[in-house]
Amino acid sequence: MIAGVVDEIFRRWEEHSQRPFWRMVGLFVTRIFRGGGDLDAEGLDLGVGLVLTLLALPGGFVSILLFEKYGTLLQWMRGATNIDPFASAVPDEYFFITLSMAVTGAVAVWRWDAILPDRRDYMTLVPLPISTRTIFFANLVAMLFLVGLIAIDVNVASSLLFPLVVGATQSAFFFFLRFAAVHALGVVLASIFSFFAVFSALGLGMAVLPPSAFKKISPYVRALIVFYLVTLLCTSFALPDFLRRLPGSPPAWTRLLPSCWVLGFCQSLRGHADPALVALGRLALPGFATVIVVSFCVYTVGYQRHFIRIAEMIEGGSSQRAAKKSRLGLWFDRWMLQTPFQKGCFRFVSKTLFRSESHCLVLAGIGGLGLVLASQALLSAFENGEPAGKAMVSAEGLSIPLVLAFVIILGLRVVFEIPVELRSNWIFRLMLNAEKHECEPLARKVMLVTVIPWVLLVFLPIYAYFGGWMVACLHTLIVLTWSLLLTDAVLIRFRKLPFTCSFPVFQQHSIVTLLGCVFGFFLFAVVTPQLESWAFVEPVRMIVFVPLAAVGWYVPHHIRQNAIDVERELIFEEAPARAVEVLQLGD
Amino acid sequence: MLEAVHLTKRYASLPAVQDLSFALRPGEVLGCLGPNGSGKSTTVKMLTGLLQPTHGVVQFDGHNIQDNLADYRKSLGYVPEEPNLYPYLTGWEYLELIGTLRGMAYWNMQRKINSLLELFSLHPHRHASIGSYSKGMRQRILLIAAIMDNPEIFIFDEPLSGLDVTSALIFKNLVQALGQQGKLVFYCSHVLEVVEKVCTDVLILRKGVVIAQDSVANIGQILGQSLENTFLHLVDDVDTMSVARDIVSIMNTKAA
Repeated sequence: MIAGVVDEIFRRWEEHSQRPFWRMVGLFVTRIFRGGGDLDAEGLDLGVGLVLTLLALPGGFVSILLFEKYGTLLQWMRGATNIDPFASAVPDEYFFITLSMAVTGAVAVWRWDAILPDRRDYMTLVPLPISTRTIFFANLVAMLFLVGLIAIDVNVASSLLFPLVVGATQSAFFFFLRFAAVHALGVVLASIFSFFAVFSALGLGMAVLPPSAFKKISPYVRALIVFYLVTLLCTSFALPDFLRRLPGSPPAWTRLLPSCWVLGFCQSLRGHADPALVALGRLALPGFATVIVVSFCVYTVGYQRHFIRIAEMIEGGSSQRAAKKSRLGLWFDRWMLQTPFQKGCFRFVSKTLFRSESHCLVLAGIGGLGLVLASQALLSAFENGEPAGKAMVSAEGLSIPLVLAFVIILGLRVVFEIPVELRSNWIFRLMLNAEKHECEPLARKVMLVTVIPWVLLVFLPIYAYFGGWMVACLHTLIVLTWSLLLTDAVLIRFRKLPFTCSFPVFQQHSIVTLLGCVFGFFLFAVVTPQLESWAFVEPVRMIVFVPLAAVGWYVPHHIRQNAIDVERELIFEEAPARAVEVLQLGD
Repeated sequence: MLEAVHLTKRYASLPAVQDLSFALRPGEVLGCLGPNGSGKSTTVKMLTGLLQPTHGVVQFDGHNIQDNLADYRKSLGYVPEEPNLYPYLTGWEYLELIGTLRGMAYWNMQRKINSLLELFSLHPHRHASIGSYSKGMRQRILLIAAIMDNPEIFIFDEPLSGLDVTSALIFKNLVQALGQQGKLVFYCSHVLEVVEKVCTDVLILRKGVVIAQDSVANIGQILGQSLENTFLHLVDDVDTMSVARDIVSIMNTKAA
C-alpha cells in the first residue's frame, strides 16, 4: 500500500513537473547555475553539484577547526574549568554569520547576470504561446528556490557541527537543540538577507538608471559589494570583542552592519544579549522585511524595464565616443612597449582587466583583502599613540605600500590565469609566434604599471611629509625594487598570454605554491619593513638590502636560464600532468 | 604558390582528411565544397597552421609553413567559420588589436580601419562593443581584419554567413578582384552558386577524400549539368525530393 502511495506521489510529481510553468522554472534554475550573461560567453562551468559542495565547504571546515577551542580536555588542560558556552561562542557565531553573508552575497554578485531572464530567454520564450507574466513568475520561483537552496547549502554544515562542538561541553541535549535552532535560524536569515541586499542594491540601479548607464556602472557597484563583503569577513575577528566592551547603546556605525543585527537577534532569542546587542537585534527583522520588499519591487520594475524591452534594446544605437589616446599613452607605446606583440597585447590585457566582470570581481576581492590588511597595519602604527611622523616610519607604517604592492602583483598573477572567451583566442593562436618569449615581459609591464604610479604619486609625498625626503626616497626605492623582484618570482615559467589559456589544472606543487605565497608575504610585507625601520636609524645599514636583492634576482634568473626551449613556448592549453612521460627519443 | 602535399589528418585513429593534394597559384580562387563532416574545416585549419597534419605538408613558395609559421601568417588573411570575437572590445578596438599585432604602422592602420569600416557600413557602430553586434556585423569585422594588412593569401571559411545582400555582393566582387590582383584565395562554402560565380577552380571533398578537382567550367562538363547537380551527384546518395516529401507527410500526421 505504501509503495502504491509513493508511486502515486511520484507519478503526480512527474505530471506536475512536465507542466510548462515548472519546465520554465527548471530552465531558469539551470540558467542561474550554469549560464546567463553574454550570449556567447564561455563561463566557468563547474556543475551544480560541485558549486554546492564548494559553497558548503568553508562552514564545515571552520566548525571542525573549532573542536580544538571547545574540547573539554583541552579546556581543562588550559585551566579553564568554568566557561560560559554562550559568551565564548559569540565571536565564532559572529564569524559564521559574516561567512554566510559573504558567501551568499558573493554568489549573488557572481550570478547577477543570470538571475534575470536575458536576451536568449527572450528570443526563445517570447515567441512561444506563453505570457510574459508566466515567465515573470517562473523566474521569481526559480530565484526563490535558488536563495533557499544556497542559504541551506552554505549553512548546513555549520548549523550541525558548530552547535555540536559548543554543546559538547554541556550534558543537556536540550541545550544543543536550542543552540542549534537559534544558530541555524540566524545564519540562514543572514544568508537570505545578504542575497536580497545585493539584489536590492544592484536592482535599484537597474530600476532607476537607463540600461546603458546601468551596464557601465554595474561592474563597479559589484566590485564595491565584493570589497564590502571581504571587509566584513576580515573584520569579523575584531568586532564581537568590540561589541562586548560597549557599556550601553551601540555606536551609530554598528547599526550599518547587518551582521551585528543578526548576532544581536540570535543572542536575544537565547536570552543572553547585553543591551547593545539587544538594540542591534531589534533591527534584524525590520531590516530583513525591508530588503525583501525592496527586492520584489526592483525585480518587478527591472523585469518591466529590461526583459519586456529587450527587443527594443537589441537594435539600440551605439556610443559615438572613442577613447582618445593621450600623449602619455603614445609615449608609453613608443618607449615602453617596443614590439607589435607588446603594443597589441598590453591594450588587450588592460581592457580585459577593466571590462571583464569576472576578472574585475576577482581583482576587487583580492584588492579588498589588501586594503583590509593595509588598514590594519595603519591602525597598528597609530595604536600606541605615537605622533604621525614616528608612526608612519615605524615597521607597521612602512609596510602599507609593501602590503598593497604584494597583493596587487599576486592578485594580477592569479587573475591572468582566468580565461576569457577561450573560443576567441584563435586570433592569438593564428598571429603570435610561439617561439618568441614575450609573454613574461608583457605580464611584468602590466604588473609594474599597476604599482609604480601610486607608489610614486601617493606614497612618496606621504613619506616625504612625515619622514623627510631621504626616508621617502629610500623606502620608495625598496618598494619598487621589491615589486620588480616579486614580479620576477611570480612569473617564473609564465608562458601564456593572460586570459587566453585554459584554466591551470591542480598539480601536486600547488599547495607548496600556496605556502610559498604566505611565506613570501611574510618576507615581503613583514620582515622588509622591520629591516627598513631598523636601517633608517643609521642609513648606512641600508646596505643589508643589497645582498638580499641580489639573491632575489639571481634565483628566478637562474631558473629561467635553465629552462629548455619547450618549457618557454607560448601555450593556449594547460595539459594535465602525466603519470608516465613518453620521451619519444626515437622520433 | 600555396601547396598541400599529401595532407592527412587523423583524430585518434579516425581520419578527417586523407591524402589531400592541391596547388593554389597567384590569381587563382579555389573553392572548397563538401557536405558536413567532409573535412573542409580540418583542411582550413591545416592551411592556416592551426592544426599540424598527421602526414604531408603545406608549402608556401616551396617552404613548409610549419618551419616558419610566424612569417607565413604575416602573408595570411583568415576568416573563420564561427565569428568568435571578444565581446567586450569595440569593433574599432578589435581591428586596432589585429593591426597592431600584424605590425602595421599606426597612422596607416588608423586610416585603413576608418575607410574599411566606412565601406562595410560599420562606421556608426565602431565604438559599440562587439557583444552588441549582429552575426553579420561580426562577420564584417572579421572580413576587415583579414584584408586590412593586404596579405598574399586569403582563406575564407563560410565568409558570407550572416551577411546582408549588399555586403554579400560586395564581398563576392571583392573575392574576384583579389583573384585578379594576383592574390591566392581559398574559399570554403556551402553556397554552390557563389562558388560557381567567384571561384576559378573547385575542390570537392567527401568523407575526407578529394572526389573531384578541376576548374569550375570543367567540373560542370563532367556530367553536363550545373555545379549544384554535379555536386549532388558526386557527394550525396540521397534523393532530396523524396526526403522533402517524407518530411511533409510526417508534418501532416495527426495524433491518434
